[in-house]
Amino acid sequence: MTATAQRPATGEKAAPAPTPARRREARTVAVLVGGVTLSLLALLVSVTVGTAGIGIGDVVRAVKVSIVGGTISADFASTYSVITQLRLPRVLLAFTAGAALSVSGVLMQGLLRNPLVSPFTLGVSPAAAFGAALVITLAGSSQLPAWATIAGAMVMALAVSALVLGIATARRMAVATLLLLGIAMTQIFEALTSALQFTANENTLQAIIRWTFGSVNDAVWSDVHIVGGVALIALPLTLFFAKDLNAIAFAGDDAARSFGVNVGPIRIGLISLAVALAAVVVSFCGIIGFVGLVGPHIARLAIGGDHRHLLPFAALSGGLLLLVADAVGRTVIAPAVVPVGIVVAFIGGPVFVYLILTRRNTLK
Amino acid sequence: MSLSVQHLSFAYGTRQILEDVTFEVASGAFCALLGPNGSGKSTLVKAIAGVHRARSGSIAVEGRDTAALGRRELARVVGYVPQAGDAPFDLTVREAVMLGRTPHFGFAPRAEDHAAVEDAIQRMGLSEIAERSLSELSGGQQQRALIARALAQNTRVLLLDEPTSALDLRYQIETLQLVRRITREEGISALIAIHDLNHAARYCDQVVVLHGGRLVADGAPQHAYEEATLRTVYEVDVEVTGHDGAVEVRPRIDAAGVTRTGGELADTAEVAAR
Repeated sequence: MTATAQRPATGEKAAPAPTPARRREARTVAVLVGGVTLSLLALLVSVTVGTAGIGIGDVVRAVKVSIVGGTISADFASTYSVITQLRLPRVLLAFTAGAALSVSGVLMQGLLRNPLVSPFTLGVSPAAAFGAALVITLAGSSQLPAWATIAGAMVMALAVSALVLGIATARRMAVATLLLLGIAMTQIFEALTSALQFTANENTLQAIIRWTFGSVNDAVWSDVHIVGGVALIALPLTLFFAKDLNAIAFAGDDAARSFGVNVGPIRIGLISLAVALAAVVVSFCGIIGFVGLVGPHIARLAIGGDHRHLLPFAALSGGLLLLVADAVGRTVIAPAVVPVGIVVAFIGGPVFVYLILTRRNTLK
Repeated sequence: MSLSVQHLSFAYGTRQILEDVTFEVASGAFCALLGPNGSGKSTLVKAIAGVHRARSGSIAVEGRDTAALGRRELARVVGYVPQAGDAPFDLTVREAVMLGRTPHFGFAPRAEDHAAVEDAIQRMGLSEIAERSLSELSGGQQQRALIARALAQNTRVLLLDEPTSALDLRYQIETLQLVRRITREEGISALIAIHDLNHAARYCDQVVVLHGGRLVADGAPQHAYEEATLRTVYEVDVEVTGHDGAVEVRPRIDAAGVTRTGGELADTAEVAAR
């Protein structure tokens, strides 16, 4: 007990170091470090999961070669290209997409003060699906480059988000308004997509439906760069506002204002960021539900509700969840691959039910 | 004067809530803000706390105009205890109290923030339950945690918006005693929106009464409580008497239990009560 209290206090007039607070801090750091370690290990292992006989040693070697350079022997060449061109982009896309969705979920839940909302609450995913479906339908039988559907999905997702936030801002950003607008958008865009599907021919229909299954099957490095890049920019940005997020989520708007938090602009800014994260992931990976809802809750149970710790840990928990789901999807009926969006619901659903039943007071 | 409100007016859209409200609360004084539901008590408290910015008039804390202060600066001089609301996410008492330090630190709390939190927890008698989560606590304990949060904020003015309405008699009295003690010890000015006229008379040095957004009485309870004024404000015929060194307000109720009254009814109620 004295050992944890020994940390020197920096303020001059500071009272004896508050032991419980220090102990909690130490625990938090331990959980974060554990989470990072676990994530790195899981990334390594998940590269080896799958068909060809690749060991962890091969993965480490391949990563080393691609970072520091070096020569590749002829017998390692095919393994090297499988690892760096197929597996690494795939697991990294799964991890970063999960991380981005989970961070987005933390932001949405905290800002709307509602544990049941997710990044898709404002209608981002049906809008993206419609955008993609529209591009696929317009292209008809001609071959489409991958970026065209991605762009279609992203433009539509961002446009709808801007519309929802714009209307909500005019109505003073009331939480109920936002949620109801989200429901309305979801209905409208699901109907639009259904209408396209109804009139589409066999091939187009199949392409549209395939797009909506969230997956990381065709991951390439450029996907990783964009999704990962956006996530890497967003996380420090959200951490900068973690203190304000705490005030809004836990104390409510009025009390947060009385703590000097500029509630309105912070809410609009961070929701825009959350929605943009979700829009980017949906555009590249399709609809991967549940991570944005469950990732934050798993993180909250592991590390507590303080957003300074919750945001980075939610990135890890969401990333891990999608990573594991994809690894399972690759193995469960190999050589066929089940899309990660389907697997994650099968894994996440029971986990979520378990959490609800066992830790009721964290969800109230 | 520690808290000075001058000619304050406030409107939601076209609906006028506060009209030309002027009063002052000295340092070390505990002032009750009285008035029926909808008279503008909450709005006045929020206007002083900076939750709403007033349209006209001025608010000064220890001579400094609050309109000239930034949000964070204002949050370091004015603390606010809102009506207890539900929190969607759980957190411990200690974490909840730390929220009060929000205007004082940058990214992470420093040693002095932890010290202020521990001090507030101790003063509100929450040491035993500091690591318990708020949702496990009784209403009285939750209310104390909210007050501790405002104490940790370490401000010169403390505003409380009906902190006692949801509490049982014992916790009501405990809360009032605590706030009175803190104002005396720290020399801060406290303003509490409250419904119970007798509690206000017993524990507060000063009462101000709002009626339809206007201030209709201001002074020590024994001077400010006038039967005529209270009858107009609450539309209830009342009797003001001295009792145990404090004024006491009792509604006059006739045999049929009628309390809501105009001029004529007042007489019959008076007769019936005798």
